[in-house]
Amino acid sequence: MRFSFGRDVVLENVSFSVEPGETVVLIGPSGQGKSTLLKLMAGLLSPSRGSVSIEGHDLSKMSSQERETLAKKVGMLFQKNALFDSLTSVENVAFPLREVAGSSVDEGHAIKVAERFLDAVGIAHARDLLPDEISGGMQKRLGIARALALDPQIVFYDDPTAGLDPITSRKIVQLIMDLRDKRKSTVVAVTNDMHRAYQLADRILMVVDKEVIDCGSPAETQAFKDPRVAQFIRGLLDGPLTVQA
Amino acid sequence: MTFPFVSGARLIIDDIGGCMLFIGEAFRTAFKRGIPVHETFVQIWRVTMQSLSTTALAGFFVGALMTVQFSLLVRNFGALGFLGGLSTSATIREVGPLLIAFMLSGKVGAYTSAELGTMRVTEQIDAIRCLGASPFQEIILPRIVGIIISSFFLLLVGLMMSIFGGVLLGILFAHINIDEYLRNVPTIVNAFSIGTGLFKCLVFAILLATICTYKGYSTTGGSKGVGRSVVATAVSTMVGIVVADWVTSVISEAVLNLAAGR
Repeated sequence: MRFSFGRDVVLENVSFSVEPGETVVLIGPSGQGKSTLLKLMAGLLSPSRGSVSIEGHDLSKMSSQERETLAKKVGMLFQKNALFDSLTSVENVAFPLREVAGSSVDEGHAIKVAERFLDAVGIAHARDLLPDEISGGMQKRLGIARALALDPQIVFYDDPTAGLDPITSRKIVQLIMDLRDKRKSTVVAVTNDMHRAYQLADRILMVVDKEVIDCGSPAETQAFKDPRVAQFIRGLLDGPLTVQA
Repeated sequence: MTFPFVSGARLIIDDIGGCMLFIGEAFRTAFKRGIPVHETFVQIWRVTMQSLSTTALAGFFVGALMTVQFSLLVRNFGALGFLGGLSTSATIREVGPLLIAFMLSGKVGAYTSAELGTMRVTEQIDAIRCLGASPFQEIILPRIVGIIISSFFLLLVGLMMSIFGGVLLGILFAHINIDEYLRNVPTIVNAFSIGTGLFKCLVFAILLATICTYKGYSTTGGSKGVGRSVVATAVSTMVGIVVADWVTSVISEAVLNLAAGR
């Protein structure tokens, strides 16, 4: 698969698969295309060449009806949460229930299910607050609750611990793992926090220089020979990767 | 080397093309999924309430301005009796819809463009898509329909207020009584004048709704991008309204000639 923004090639010759129930973590320097790759996998962007398939179905060849069915199977937490700022916490979580299920779900039921999800992520008390009125950690939890509202089989997390303190980020990762284990879902997450990556991942992929390097399990990643991977996971200044400060 | 006007023309063509595709998608979604009624009423209420007082005030002064300008002219020819008719006709057919639409483009257009632009750069629109819903159905269609209906209504309110402003200033400034002011209104203002005014109001409302939603929806580049979209909305709607004013005037004139058998 290849992806470019105009003439700028972001990803080139990318090819990998994620198995059902597997947790894959994408790492890599900023601006290398991790979030872009996640959006391609979620069907929010289309590759310039090649294809992205979910359960064997090419996303670009799906009809709008098939896309709607797929949307029920996929949840996504955005990097900046992308919460609907005019809706309260409970309305944010009820939104997918109401929209995707349509007239088959009544308003009261959608709210009850949304309340259950808020409770599951530990922010039931913020039910009637707007996203702007809650802390960053609570916004992440709210984003996770909304992503999981349709009980998706596949969940994409774009930097779920960005900007959070170490304790809160550990709690968020623990929450993601608990929900994953409970629902037996497939998880693809982006993070540059290596502690959280090791904690969460079955397999680690590194996005760098337009390509994706399969680094294997956390243990294998730590022993990986590629100098770019070794430099990145240890946070070394010297090495092939140049980071603009 | 590309001349600036060539790249400028290309940008305008790109913009018009993008806008056409955007409207096409909006129509497709409306036919396929329908228009959410509740959200559309929310938008109609919001836009109307947001701009009613400003539109009424602007309308009043547009009419007042026309009366003052015409009174200075007709006084010299001893034709003060035609003041009401001339002022009302010019206000309804031309200046009223144009100036009030300008005012609405600054208020409703800029607000909507900034709102949608912010939703775009904060990935709320992507989130809607990701949750299996259609952004066109959820946020674009209610705004397009809401803005068209409320802008048309606001333009009518503005026109009525401009007539009132014209009458009041006729009495206060030109010192003619209300009967004298209104006497020649029916001879100059006919169904054609009113039809032209209403036609323009509708065209300007459609133009405003389309441009501001398109510009907001296609925002890129963070908060700077939102700023750019708001500016582009203001410029595009004003230029679009002036061009549409000329086109609608030509069409109205052709219709009038056709009706008169000329």
